[in-house]
Amino acid sequence: MSGSLLAYVVRRLVWTIPVVLLVIFLTFVLMRQIEGNPFRTSERAVPESIQRNLERKYGLNDPWYVQYAMYTKGVLTFDLGPSLVLRQRTVNEIVKEHFPRSLELGGLAFLFAAVFGIPLGILAALRPNSWLDYGAMFFSNVGFAVPSFLIATLFIYYFVVQWDVGFPTSGWTNWESKVLPVVALGLAPAAYFARLVRGTMLETAQQDYIRTAQAKGLRRRRIVGLHVLRNSLIPVVTAAGPLLGYLITGSFVIEEIFAIPGIGRYYVTAVTARDYSVVMGLTVLLSVIVILANLVVDILYAVLDPRTREARA
Amino acid sequence: MVVQPGEVTRDVGGPGAYAGTAAGAPIRQTSLWRDAWYRYIRNRAAVLAGVVFLVVLAYCLVWPAVSPYDPYKVDFSQARQNPSLDHPLGTDRFGRDMLTRTALGGRVSIGIGFAATIVILVIGVAYGAISGFIGGILDNGMMRFLDALYGLPYLPFAIITLAIIGDINFWSMTVALAIASWFTTARIVRGQVITLKENDYIRATRAIGARWYRILLRHILPNTLGVLIIAVFLELPAVVLGEAFLSFIGLGISPPEASWGAMAQEGREVYRTSPHLIVIPSVAIAVLVLCANFVADGLRDALDPRTRET
Amino acid sequence: MALLDVRDLKTHFFTREGVVHAVDGVSFSVDRGRTLGIVGESGCGKSVTALSIMGLIPKPPAKIVAGEVVFDGRDLTKLGERQLESVRGREIAMIFQDPMTSLNPTLTIGTQITETIKRHFDLSNERARKRAVELLEEVRIPNAASRLDDYPHRYSGGMRQRVMIAIALSCNPMLLIADEPTTALDVTVQAQVLDLLDELRESHDMAMILITHDMGVVAETADEVIVMYAGQVVEQAPVLELFDHPEHPYTEALLGALPQIEGERIREARLTAIPGRPPDLVSPPPACRFAPRCPHAGGDSCTETMPELRELRSGHWVRSAHPTSERAGRPVGASA
Repeated sequence: MSGSLLAYVVRRLVWTIPVVLLVIFLTFVLMRQIEGNPFRTSERAVPESIQRNLERKYGLNDPWYVQYAMYTKGVLTFDLGPSLVLRQRTVNEIVKEHFPRSLELGGLAFLFAAVFGIPLGILAALRPNSWLDYGAMFFSNVGFAVPSFLIATLFIYYFVVQWDVGFPTSGWTNWESKVLPVVALGLAPAAYFARLVRGTMLETAQQDYIRTAQAKGLRRRRIVGLHVLRNSLIPVVTAAGPLLGYLITGSFVIEEIFAIPGIGRYYVTAVTARDYSVVMGLTVLLSVIVILANLVVDILYAVLDPRTREARA
Repeated sequence: MVVQPGEVTRDVGGPGAYAGTAAGAPIRQTSLWRDAWYRYIRNRAAVLAGVVFLVVLAYCLVWPAVSPYDPYKVDFSQARQNPSLDHPLGTDRFGRDMLTRTALGGRVSIGIGFAATIVILVIGVAYGAISGFIGGILDNGMMRFLDALYGLPYLPFAIITLAIIGDINFWSMTVALAIASWFTTARIVRGQVITLKENDYIRATRAIGARWYRILLRHILPNTLGVLIIAVFLELPAVVLGEAFLSFIGLGISPPEASWGAMAQEGREVYRTSPHLIVIPSVAIAVLVLCANFVADGLRDALDPRTRET
Repeated sequence: MALLDVRDLKTHFFTREGVVHAVDGVSFSVDRGRTLGIVGESGCGKSVTALSIMGLIPKPPAKIVAGEVVFDGRDLTKLGERQLESVRGREIAMIFQDPMTSLNPTLTIGTQITETIKRHFDLSNERARKRAVELLEEVRIPNAASRLDDYPHRYSGGMRQRVMIAIALSCNPMLLIADEPTTALDVTVQAQVLDLLDELRESHDMAMILITHDMGVVAETADEVIVMYAGQVVEQAPVLELFDHPEHPYTEALLGALPQIEGERIREARLTAIPGRPPDLVSPPPACRFAPRCPHAGGDSCTETMPELRELRSGHWVRSAHPTSERAGRPVGASA
């Protein structure tokens, strides 16, 4: 194992660099298209001279390529620049303060989805067309269709307002405050996992090599546990990357509902305030996370499926 | 030889020997679609989902016109009523009939859904077909570019696009949501085009000297139709949910206009006393998404029998 | 006593379109160390017969509705799943048509061989690996020891089928079922694999059931042949007898469909395609199932009663109202 695997990982890592640069560039170009700048909003009457000073200080009058070069240099040295609205704070500080909460929320929700959804899918696939299967698929179809804001609101309505089982309605402090947001965010991905795992397992079970494994007299436990499951997990791993995008989207809503001071909530505030160095910094950050997640997915994929190591030379 | 009157009209314009095959091709085509149709209507869940989907569409289109209530008229004396005979779904904070308002919101949500899906298909087909059909360095470059776009997370991307347009309305929402989500369709179309390009019949067409645009327009794109029909029902729920999320966090359609997401946001503020105000638009979204998913599954099984489970 | 005795086996598929009579009353036996060839067109029930013996038919929709499969004194249809698992791979091994899809792409060749050995014998890891190398050498994989940790995609089709043979031989089974083992291979490789199979069958003292649609393959390897049509046995005979004196019109047609070189000239009546299609097995013809395609079926019993499988000569059985030897003088195709 591992020359070819190692070579693949290195190739894949090297390839990530231009993608990150391109994403920074795209974000930069997009952000420059936004009309207006934060110092010229009508609500804040600032004398013309101060405005110009501020614009100079933040480099808003430099040509775009200078701004871009400065910005890329900043990102690569982990310096996302100052906030344009909150003048005492840098984007780095904002990230440092808000990001860990979002990361924890997303991570726990993903964990919940995997721990709950994957076994559910496996159980359903082991007994296709049983009541368990129908129940799991009902959950999976409904869970994926109901928007998370309804689930979150109903959670609060029942668990906090009606039954008062000891969960708070908002915040992100002790574990009691984390249960509802994590489950509300993780339910749809769990439903997705369950459905995907069931589908791929049933499909894998039809493969010729499973019949070979049976013809060899292998025990059912080994056939399901090694041959079927290992091959079924490949598409599941591939789907985990895009799921992260979903978690980001979902966290915007969940943080709003549970009043969690995370990155998603801050992002919305920054967009409304036109604090575009913050919007840009956070967009780049989220993009890099998605890119890194896809990187991890691809490497896992190569570990699970030996064919890809060579095919994608 | 006696020529039957019926045959003459059919065989015009071709040597007799080839008439059979020439007439055979389109017949085979239609029977393919007919087979798919029969497979679809045997799938009970998909048929039910399709019917519910159409009922929801009809309700959204027709109800605001025939409803006795004005969906915009504020009347605080009627505010926040629970469902009753007069108002089957109750009334909202401003005393507006929810049954009417939900239909109105559905027009916007589903309208944005379909409009964005069409834009997604147009961009996706153009990008995917060019990339896949031309191939080589161009294909490579276009796909790498797509990889980078995949790095941009969906909702932030849509939010930035909205900020660029500067104005939030039906069309800017459509564009923002479409721009943020055409990548998958482009990839699917590219894959399909590449597969078709390698097919023997396409090679044969090329061998007899058909021009590239003719091959693309006559032979390749029509054969991606099945994939595209499925894509409509996969993208539609994604866009509807995207619109709902945007409106819910306050960056989408804003009152007094209604969309299901905007209605849910309004309802969210009074969930403790009138939970039905957030439940109704959310359930409407869920029903639409669920139906679209089942229709997509049914279509996939019907159009691609190889993947059918026994 | 025969090693394997299949008696009146009926395997049906219960589908939405109706009950498919895939195998409909098949009987045959295989003696120790002998090779039985089963031939017929695709869809005639050859593979389902093999899978029924192994207990590997997909349940549902398939079900063995009647019959016995007596192997080495036990009726396999009466065994529980766990007991059957111990027979599979250990006493009866099987290789399949498509070597490209028959090996698990995510496990090394070594794992796929040793897991079989370790399942049936109490061997340490190293001993099992050593045995795996020996097996790969036996099926003539070059540099066997170094190729043990390769994944299947590094092997060509012919080599993969050799690996399948190695897996099949790994536990010294008494019976090997080979379901179209060479069909998916390149023509140049087919003969090598077939020779290897025959040679190893001999040296391991196994019996073999060779399923094929290729009369040439049967001629080369089988001792005894049964011809299947529409889920039934229509003719059974020793291989030479069958080729020299085919009795069933279907066998004649199959032999006619075989390109044959005699001396330097290709035989005159070469490659006669068989007109028509095999019948629908949901509602097969009530009488002779070959009648709709048979050049000799007339307005007689052919469409009214099902012909019995009868012994025309010693060891030569046929299910037809008009076997060749009873048709002498009657012009072929008179009623067609």
